[in-house]
Amino acid sequence: MVKLSLIKIEKSHGEWKCKIDACFIPGVHLITGRVGSGKTTLALLAARVLQPDQGVVQYEGIRSHALSFQYPEYHITGSTLEKEAASYGVDPDRALALAGFADERSEDPFRLSRGELKAFHLTCLFLRQWDLLILDEPFSALDCKGKLTVSGCISEYKKGIILVATHEQHFLPRTDYLWEMRSGLLTFLGTVPEALKSWQSAPSPIRSLRAQGILPANLTQQDILEAACRTHD
Amino acid sequence: MELKVMIEIRDLVYRNLHIPELTIHSGTTALIGKNGSGKTTLLRLLAGLSQPESGLITLKEKPLIAGATGFVNEYPDKNALFSRVYDELAGPLRFRYYSCDDIRDRVLEVAGQAGLDQYLNRTMDTLSGGEKVLIALLSAVICGPEILILDEFDSHLDYDTQEEADKLIASSGSSLIVRCTQNMDLAARCGAIIVLQGGSVLHTGPPEKVFAALETTCCYPFTWR
Repeated sequence: MVKLSLIKIEKSHGEWKCKIDACFIPGVHLITGRVGSGKTTLALLAARVLQPDQGVVQYEGIRSHALSFQYPEYHITGSTLEKEAASYGVDPDRALALAGFADERSEDPFRLSRGELKAFHLTCLFLRQWDLLILDEPFSALDCKGKLTVSGCISEYKKGIILVATHEQHFLPRTDYLWEMRSGLLTFLGTVPEALKSWQSAPSPIRSLRAQGILPANLTQQDILEAACRTHD
Repeated sequence: MELKVMIEIRDLVYRNLHIPELTIHSGTTALIGKNGSGKTTLLRLLAGLSQPESGLITLKEKPLIAGATGFVNEYPDKNALFSRVYDELAGPLRFRYYSCDDIRDRVLEVAGQAGLDQYLNRTMDTLSGGEKVLIALLSAVICGPEILILDEFDSHLDYDTQEEADKLIASSGSSLIVRCTQNMDLAARCGAIIVLQGGSVLHTGPPEKVFAALETTCCYPFTWR
């Protein structure tokens, strides 16, 4: 089984310090937290893009991994959409068709809107199977259709570890494990739905349901609508 | 409250945008639409950062000029001109030749009101995406602009921070706020909505009217379902 361990990690930026001691097994791990709480730092550490001041990041059985940056423009290496798709190691024709850019293969990626670029980047990423996939704010800049598509891709991810750090309020994926960054300290809240009770940075629909004593079965829009319309247990 | 005509667009053509006629009133207007529909292009025109290829955009019957608006870019890194947070907030005041004492007082005042005074000596590159857009928002409102243009900055904020940012926006004193968002619950709380599709205005009007036309789509506000 693949496993990602961040063992007694400490990382400082000036006076701000991040502490992580966690183990991630296959499944969808949702990581939330307030602005500046350390979600991106966790994503960068997990991807080994950032080195910790102390502690160890350990990959067990992980033979392929990818990090999706919060800003899609950081990923661009190709001068055309076709070359950009190829840079992910996927079939450009398939990626362009799926993303709706089949007729714009020679287009400069920087000519796309930010939402279009994000959708294109994620399409390329989900065309491969990764043992570890780290998504930093995958929903930002996407329209509702794009959010639903990405949420579905994450929910249906069949194997491997997927970390999703996000502020999204309404289009969350089916989630196995819930984590929260609290002022630089990563806290495991447990499995969904029990973990929802102690979720401090919960999105507004979850807060609203909790206030009525209702816990949805999971976090997809369907789960929340079903819970909101529930008349009895 | 009486709504005043603020911005009028006539026969606008710019890149993929074609808007024969559009009026934006005082208050807060949400700009929504699919990815690639032209939202950012229109916001840049409203901010005076781009000029129409043809047609006219007027602010209170006078030509729109750059510099009269506060603008927050959707790319957090594209907002910053300076490396230190204090300088980023002081910049708009310095460009308007405020005295050093007035600049210091104003920066401390707005940063304190927003609870961001602990950030003043940090460098912009040490901030998270959400922190960068909060600083960009403060920088945009620090001179009290008549028009505030916000390009999807809320996508970088958690629920609580977004609530705090909304208070900052409400206290900005701006007569007109145009904000692009993909959060339909937030759009539903605005006074008016403009929906773009393929570079044209698909719907415009109060939220009840606009969302009635979008009821069967995923755009319909979650809290209204």
